[in-house]
Amino acid sequence: MSQGRTLTFNIFRYDPQEPGDKPKMVKYQIEEAPGMTVFIALNMLREKQDPSLQFDFVCRAGICGSCAMVINGFPTLACRTLTSKYPKAEITLMPLPGFELIGDLSVNTGKFMRELAERLKLWLHPKADEVDIHRIEAPMAPEEAAKLYELERCVECGVCVSACATKQMRDTFVGAVGMMKIARFELDSRDTRSVEDFYHVIGNQDGVFGCMTLLGCQDNCPKDLPHMQQIAYLRRKMATALV
Amino acid sequence: MNVKSLQSHHTHYASLGSPWSAKADKVQSITGILLGCFLLAHLHFESSILLGKKAFYHVVQFLEGGMFSSTGHGFPMVTKLFSIFILIVVMLHALVALRRFPAQLGQWRALRRHMSGINHKDSHAWFWQLVTGFILFFLAPVHIFTMITNPEIGPHLSAERVYHANAWLLYALLLPAVVIHAMIGLYRVAVKWGLTANRAGLRKVAKVLIVYLISIGLLSLISYILIGRELSLPITPFVP
Repeated sequence: MSQGRTLTFNIFRYDPQEPGDKPKMVKYQIEEAPGMTVFIALNMLREKQDPSLQFDFVCRAGICGSCAMVINGFPTLACRTLTSKYPKAEITLMPLPGFELIGDLSVNTGKFMRELAERLKLWLHPKADEVDIHRIEAPMAPEEAAKLYELERCVECGVCVSACATKQMRDTFVGAVGMMKIARFELDSRDTRSVEDFYHVIGNQDGVFGCMTLLGCQDNCPKDLPHMQQIAYLRRKMATALV
Repeated sequence: MNVKSLQSHHTHYASLGSPWSAKADKVQSITGILLGCFLLAHLHFESSILLGKKAFYHVVQFLEGGMFSSTGHGFPMVTKLFSIFILIVVMLHALVALRRFPAQLGQWRALRRHMSGINHKDSHAWFWQLVTGFILFFLAPVHIFTMITNPEIGPHLSAERVYHANAWLLYALLLPAVVIHAMIGLYRVAVKWGLTANRAGLRKVAKVLIVYLISIGLLSLISYILIGRELSLPITPFVP
């Protein structure tokens, strides 16, 4: 553990609410502590040097997905990034691209995720006669539950959206998070939507056939979700849906 | 599920799924695989000149159906017809691949901004595929049209084209562009459809193939230039 180093942070600063404010990079220095994460460093900076610094966090344990930002060119979670990872002791922080900027490192991923869920109808569509609150739910096979759980691990941090050049070029593209969630309901035996129904949602340039397989999602996902296999699976499924 | 309600909800996004979306994606992949595999074979065939004039002569003789012709040399018509077929495949591939081009300035700027801000190798590889793809719009048809109008191939005939008709310049530009485009493309098509899970291995194979194919391509190009310099015009076709 490199102890006693002085870390230099280059942080993007811009407050769209502040009239006349312009985007700029601001330099901060801080003493490194053992086991320090970028998230801890940011909190110390805000506490001791600049209370106006804006960034998001809730859980500080890689579960809430709030503290995603671009750290030295890699979009990832600040709470899971140790400062000791950077031998040069220089860390550049940028807000996630592709989202509405709230201020500094804080972006509105929630608005994006909500719109996506409404647009792709990302909730279970059960059979009408199956909704009976007086009856015990039908059990699910453990294998199926495990498969769904694997895809449910997504924390909606927005890293896959920011890492995707296709999404940056095509604003209406659903991104890996959208396809991951569609795949989750496609695999769910309780969901009544057919392959054709899903085709009408993601069988276009905004969905699987717009994906250019740049794999920024696969390479940056902080939860290591299997985006590459999942999108390939959906693509194969959709490619044979309407023939 | 009520499809109509979906449609009304989606009016500001891409329209309802059309079977053409899937078809376009499949056509792009299939034509890409065809062209990539053809390139692998093509570069090896033309590089047989590195084994001597006789070796190249026999490759051409075999591919042009020498065993069916009375002279034993084969039919240049075979090359002509095959070139027309390749031109059609290239046109189809270009037509569907155009969907991927950042045709608007805003898209191009978004791509460049993304590349400067986010450090990601596969995105950069795609950028080079895009650049080489654009170059191929102009270089590939020149080569294919030459093979349709003047399909004569042989150790001396090809050397004449390379050296005396100055085709070396075209080939020197076309070779790296087409090899980079095709090998990154074959890698991408494999991970795109989930043909393999060993992505790191595949990427290594693509890199090795790029270096290898450009090497044999350049060496054989030099061979043709050296043979061409020795020939006086009008040339007489090589006969073993």
